[in-house]
Amino acid sequence: MNAPFLTRLWQKFARSRVGRSIFRVGLPQSNLERSQAMTSSFLLHIQPAKVHKHSLKAGYSLGLGLISLYLFIILIGTGVLLMFYYVPSTASAYNTMKDLQFVVSAGLLVRNMHRWAAHLMVLLVLLHLCRVFYTGAYKRPREFNWVIGVGLFLLTLGLSFTGYLLPWDQLAFWAITVGTNIAGYAPVIGTKVKYVLLGGNVVGQEALTRFYALHVIVLPTLALLMVAVHLWRVRKDGGLSRPDESGEVVEQIPPGQLPVNKSYGLMELARGTSPQVGKNPEDEVFSWPHLVFREILLFLLVTAVVLFLAIFWNAPLEEFANPIHPPNPAKAPWYFLGLQELVSYSAFWGGVVIPGLLVTALLLLPYLDRKRAGVGRWFARERVVANSIFTLCLLAAIVFTVIGTLFRGPNWDWVEPWRQPPAITEGH
Amino acid sequence: MNNGSMLRFYGCFTFLGLLVGGLVVLGYYKDEYREWKDYQRKFVQEEIHRAATPQQKAIAESTPVEVRQILLPELNRVDRCTTCHLAVEDPSYGGYQQPLAYHPQHEQHPFEKFGCTICHRGQGRATTTADAHGAVAHWDQPMLPLQYIQASCGQCHEAADNPAAPELGQGQQLFETSGCRGCHKLGGAGGNLGPELDKVGTRRSPEWLKKHFLAPAAVTAGSAMPPQKFSETNLEAIVLFMLSQTGQTAPGYYASMKVIPSADEGQRLFQQKGCIGCHTVAGQGGKVGPVLDDVGLRRSPEWMLQHFRDPQSVTPGSVMPKFGFTETEARALTEFLLHLRERNLASTFPSLMSPVERGREIYRKYGCAGCHGAEAKGGVPNPNAKTAEQVPGLIRVAEGYTKAELKSRIVKGQREIPALEPKRPPPPLYMPAWGAVIKDAELDDLVAYLISLKPKGEDLGF
Repeated sequence: MNAPFLTRLWQKFARSRVGRSIFRVGLPQSNLERSQAMTSSFLLHIQPAKVHKHSLKAGYSLGLGLISLYLFIILIGTGVLLMFYYVPSTASAYNTMKDLQFVVSAGLLVRNMHRWAAHLMVLLVLLHLCRVFYTGAYKRPREFNWVIGVGLFLLTLGLSFTGYLLPWDQLAFWAITVGTNIAGYAPVIGTKVKYVLLGGNVVGQEALTRFYALHVIVLPTLALLMVAVHLWRVRKDGGLSRPDESGEVVEQIPPGQLPVNKSYGLMELARGTSPQVGKNPEDEVFSWPHLVFREILLFLLVTAVVLFLAIFWNAPLEEFANPIHPPNPAKAPWYFLGLQELVSYSAFWGGVVIPGLLVTALLLLPYLDRKRAGVGRWFARERVVANSIFTLCLLAAIVFTVIGTLFRGPNWDWVEPWRQPPAITEGH
Repeated sequence: MNNGSMLRFYGCFTFLGLLVGGLVVLGYYKDEYREWKDYQRKFVQEEIHRAATPQQKAIAESTPVEVRQILLPELNRVDRCTTCHLAVEDPSYGGYQQPLAYHPQHEQHPFEKFGCTICHRGQGRATTTADAHGAVAHWDQPMLPLQYIQASCGQCHEAADNPAAPELGQGQQLFETSGCRGCHKLGGAGGNLGPELDKVGTRRSPEWLKKHFLAPAAVTAGSAMPPQKFSETNLEAIVLFMLSQTGQTAPGYYASMKVIPSADEGQRLFQQKGCIGCHTVAGQGGKVGPVLDDVGLRRSPEWMLQHFRDPQSVTPGSVMPKFGFTETEARALTEFLLHLRERNLASTFPSLMSPVERGREIYRKYGCAGCHGAEAKGGVPNPNAKTAEQVPGLIRVAEGYTKAELKSRIVKGQREIPALEPKRPPPPLYMPAWGAVIKDAELDDLVAYLISLKPKGEDLGF
């Protein structure tokens, strides 16, 4: 095969003394090297040497989990750059936003990338959750990975929410005020949670310090760890779900049946999904290049989209935060606007019971819905009941979010977005 | 792995790689292009064009293209205006087109100490014309139109004493004499029928203010404020004074410039520091120190200044204590003493005035005229009030009230004004309770003034 010039150059470097010391295996030429490329690289070895062809079908997974991960990586990169300038003080935070825009080279671009990647990540993680639901991929043996995934979804919301406050403008201040007020509606612990989050009863310097620490240290570290576990479990639970898999889990061999006087290798301890026992090798292809190349292409695509958004649309920045001049209406970040809409009907039911039930239902889902029929197919007929219930909840969430975002004007009154909102005159 | 799929991979790599690369280049270009660079290049070109000697030319050519800024930590500002307005300090650029024009008369307010936005407003950190001039969304401090620039003087200097801002002083005078304080609080003093005005200058535009003064209800639906009949110059002056109310207190060095050492300020100090405890002016005061009425003829300004710094240094054996006056205070007192003879102290010096005269001042000070009219003659409309749909005048209160009753009316106010027709909306103006504001001696003087208003020669003839 006539590899392009750059590939040949790369090949030459990879096979050189220095190249081999770095990559251990050069650009793979044989199947053995293709396996080695995966197993001998720290970054790649979290993935198997061979993947099932079904896992590579773009129409099945839509790459939503990977896109979320890429957005997370972009967020870490741009986030670190922003940290070089950002000062988490109520007096300076807003000024650093202005400096980023007006005097820092590419400052605005980096901030825009961070902002749009953050919004996209919330959206993509949610879509990923939907994909896993509609394909029944949360079922045995992936129950616990679904639970981790729900945790990652909540972490993503937490990351976005804590980041929302940092610019210290009107948008940030009032969105966080509204958002933490919703947290305050929880019975017994609500006001305490709010107090701990804000370091006081209102949004101020203490809140900014805490949100900053959560946003740049606590939550990203947690998320990184959980992403690692999530990916590792994907592999250990047998790769991506597919229609023809058996659904066995790793089974411990009873101690009596274990061979004696041996050091136990993995093959002897475990059976079932994890080690590639009883699989048809014809269904599988080498991860290098089939998986890895696709991953790199997807990363390029995600980067291009984020860059495109960041070049042409600026992240919002309103006036300096003013605790005595609330905008009317004050709105939470968009992903909480469905919640805020519910709260406007009833603080207790909308702010506590319904979201509490939803999260609990999501966490318990794989342990409640245990039939294996329809796993690995989109909208399987066998899962029509579960899919219908989920779709209804999802639609309700979308409808409430859209209402909260577009149809609510001053005093949370109904407005049609295509009509001019009534002018607010300052009352005497 | 067949050749075809591998080539497809390479194709995608090439396409997406070029796409990302192209976007990076586009992003870089968009970030690199800044309009201020054009202005700086124009400036450099002008400098090269002007250069007379090779050395000057070399200097001009090596002018770096970079953001220029004035850091003002005390004012919590960074002003980057000079990034485009490069010649503000160079008189040879007088008469040039903006942004390269020279800024005249900046000697007393050097840019490195004051920056630009403290007077002109706008957004100092911004480096694009639109953002810097501040008339953009989400920036609440657009540039102050030049015709209203005097409003900014009021941030650091007393409005009334500033010879460089006569219209501002006129505006303040109007504010104090038109009865605005009857309904509006400013600096903590005033009524509560209307909104506080402490930050009105940052909330309202000149256009809004003008419209509002002429027809308040047209701008603010349901406003009870009566339309004001200001002349065009007075309207401009009062708008100017309103714009100067930013609610910001200048810090440190800037606050020390508050007092302009004028005779008015000197008189305030003279009163406040209790000088007439020892000195006599206009026939009143203590006998310990010399009479001061003619001191301006006897002493030079330099002598007086030194005397305020250290009395014993010019008058050995003087019993006058060292008061520790600031230099500004000393200059203000000197100014006052120099012009003492021209000033009508008997009518402006509270402790030399009669209770009735003081009462008239108090009537003006608290804005009673806003509702009860100038000299308490009434005539301000109050729709649907039983009293001829007007706020009543007060010139005949002596006939119906004792002094104690009058005081009680002022202290308690009257929230419910009897309506002419019960079906129409209640009268918008009412009498606030002034008890917490006007107290003791002031109240006595005010009542004395009101009692004195009874027209002469109209004594009860029945």
